[in-house]
Amino acid sequence: MKIAIVVQRYGSEINGGAELHARYVAERLSRHATVEVLTTCAKDYLTWKNEWPSGEETVNGIRVRRFPVSCPRNTDDFGRRSALVFDRQHSLADELAWLDSEGPKSPALIRHIDQVRDKFDFFLFFSARYYHAWHGARAVRGKAILVPTAERDPAMGLHMFGPMFRDVRALMYNSFEERDLIHGVSGNQAVPGVVVGVGSAIPERTQPWRFRKKFNVKRPFAIYIGRIDDNKGCPALFEHFINYAANYPRGLDLILLGKAVIPVPSHPRLRAVGFVSEEDKFDGLAAADLLVMPSQFESLSMVALEAWALGKPVLVNGACDVLRGQTLRANGGLCYESFDEFAEAMYCLEASGPIGAILGRQGREFFKRHYAWPVIEKKYLDMFDRLKRDSSVRPVEPWPGWWARRRRTLPPARQIVDSVPAGPVLR
Amino acid sequence: MSDFQVKSDAVDVDAIMRQIRARIREKRGTDYTEAEVQELAKVKLEQFLDPKGVRSDLVAQFRRTRTISPAPPNYDFEDDTIYKTRRGPLRTIRRLLNPILKLFLNPNPIAAALHVQARVNEEFHQRFRQREDMDPLYYELVHNLALEVTRLGIEVHNMKMRVESVSSRIDFDERRGRALETVVQYKQARPQQQQQRPQSQSQRQQDLLAQDQRPQEARQQTPSMNAPTAPAAVAGAPVVAMPVTIPAGDSIGEAAAMPTPVSAAAPAADRGDRHDGEGERRRRRRRRRRRPGQNMGDQQFSSGGGANAGDDAGDYSSTDTGADSGNDEK
Repeated sequence: MKIAIVVQRYGSEINGGAELHARYVAERLSRHATVEVLTTCAKDYLTWKNEWPSGEETVNGIRVRRFPVSCPRNTDDFGRRSALVFDRQHSLADELAWLDSEGPKSPALIRHIDQVRDKFDFFLFFSARYYHAWHGARAVRGKAILVPTAERDPAMGLHMFGPMFRDVRALMYNSFEERDLIHGVSGNQAVPGVVVGVGSAIPERTQPWRFRKKFNVKRPFAIYIGRIDDNKGCPALFEHFINYAANYPRGLDLILLGKAVIPVPSHPRLRAVGFVSEEDKFDGLAAADLLVMPSQFESLSMVALEAWALGKPVLVNGACDVLRGQTLRANGGLCYESFDEFAEAMYCLEASGPIGAILGRQGREFFKRHYAWPVIEKKYLDMFDRLKRDSSVRPVEPWPGWWARRRRTLPPARQIVDSVPAGPVLR
Repeated sequence: MSDFQVKSDAVDVDAIMRQIRARIREKRGTDYTEAEVQELAKVKLEQFLDPKGVRSDLVAQFRRTRTISPAPPNYDFEDDTIYKTRRGPLRTIRRLLNPILKLFLNPNPIAAALHVQARVNEEFHQRFRQREDMDPLYYELVHNLALEVTRLGIEVHNMKMRVESVSSRIDFDERRGRALETVVQYKQARPQQQQQRPQSQSQRQQDLLAQDQRPQEARQQTPSMNAPTAPAAVAGAPVVAMPVTIPAGDSIGEAAAMPTPVSAAAPAADRGDRHDGEGERRRRRRRRRRRPGQNMGDQQFSSGGGANAGDDAGDYSSTDTGADSGNDEK
């Protein structure tokens, strides 16, 4: 079996959620099939500037083909178009222009996908909202499997994504909340889909003391792992934590691992150690009392899964349906929606507290049951088998004509997403 | 923070979250969601903007002294402005010579630019005027916010003082409670007392009836006495075994502070056994123990009541440690 994985960026040094997810899946599936990755030369997700040379290379034993991005993102133009399609009545042409503006626009990649469509059994497209997934899925309709990695953001309410969700052969969802969102906006219940998620490269052994020694950490602490950014809810986390530190002098410290995009406030109990190696990351996680996830927009928190894999409880932002649902299903942490809840939950989840260890243990069991690699691999392979057996191809929805595409009659995308019921899925 | 009730190895996150919210509700009274907090914040802001809300003379003064700046000079520049003149024929000649002028320079972009500039000037003036109109509102808002913050600051300060006062009172009460616990001891009921109880109860009821009339009698006897002193005597009355007459020469405070409830019931020999010095010490101790705002009569009432209650029950009595002087004489 030959599988092509199409993703916006790819590389061992890229730690973004969907890209890392794609790399893990590629490396795991390569044990069962021939896997080739088709991607762009971009490294930075904000500019999509060509930074890698185009052509072929091998990353961790996987063959990777890179194609140049035709033009980097113009942030002003993208912002203007986003405001139009998210908040005002617009046309399908406006949405397509938004997609081009968002990038990474790589017609060469789409041309290549069209050319090699017969060489592969399936094309796995990661991240539904990007140019490569929309155009690529249209180019290889009968072989496209989508891993949407969709969050509850207005982009999912764009009209153009509806046909894509309905026309692909199958969808590999990250969570039940994501599946319900996509069902809600596109009505694609008939398309085969399975909630898979992703595993992680959990080390056999961690050394918490090494992390403590390396970074001179003496007090118990909570850890945040990820980009320190507005989008990840870090400002609210800082505010809550500084408040908490003032109220509970003997409480936990907070250590931040990851690249800081926004300034980190100066506080004796708040420390950002910057981007660290995987080894340090897992050692830090093992040394921490708990993991904090303040993000409001997540399709699946891999770092939460990693925390559970190490038996650590998580404290997540309750405003994020996916995180909340995941935590409630796993019984592996607590949620907060206000400072009071944050402070109480921090207290409860301390290692010396009453329930932190129990929740961590339950999280570990949840991880083993649902997110261990053998389970994930089996779900992918079962889906491939199912699609091979079922060769029936659904009729393709007709694409609107030139005039119809330019008629500004589509409602704001945000309105569409807001109309879909929210909340965690508890099953 | 109190600990959670973890009854088994398996923990239900939903249940824990419910417990957390319940505790927060207990602490804060109401568990507001973020949306509700935002709503409350909006309401508060509306109050500030409300003209019936907080006001100050400064705002009025600001409004009085505010002067509206005059409109800056501007001009109207249309396509034909450069040819305008009061003399009609000259305008016609200029227009006729316009092609020749255009051989040397093109006046159209200049005219267009000046036209745009005139519109820009006008636009900016309008915006500036709008801004000026908004200034008092901002001023008022900031001023009222400052007032409110100051008021809240004072309130917080007062609250802190009250909390300190309450906590010191609690400490005092706890210490007192502990001291009392150490001196109370269990004592077997005496059969003789039990036999006497019905008699003493009926006698006490008679006393109570007599006591209801006593203040009036006292008032009739000493019309110059202050009314507030009578309740003090009444307060001591339930434990009085025989009617007490207040001598005219005695001050009421002394009469209230030194009722003779227990002394009437207690044998005089008991007191006679004690040395005078010890009695003096006891009195001093009593005075020391008095709390601010509590007079001797109140203290006697509480201690006498306790003694009497002990008498009724026949189960408890206090040793003479000075904790409850009323019991010493029993």
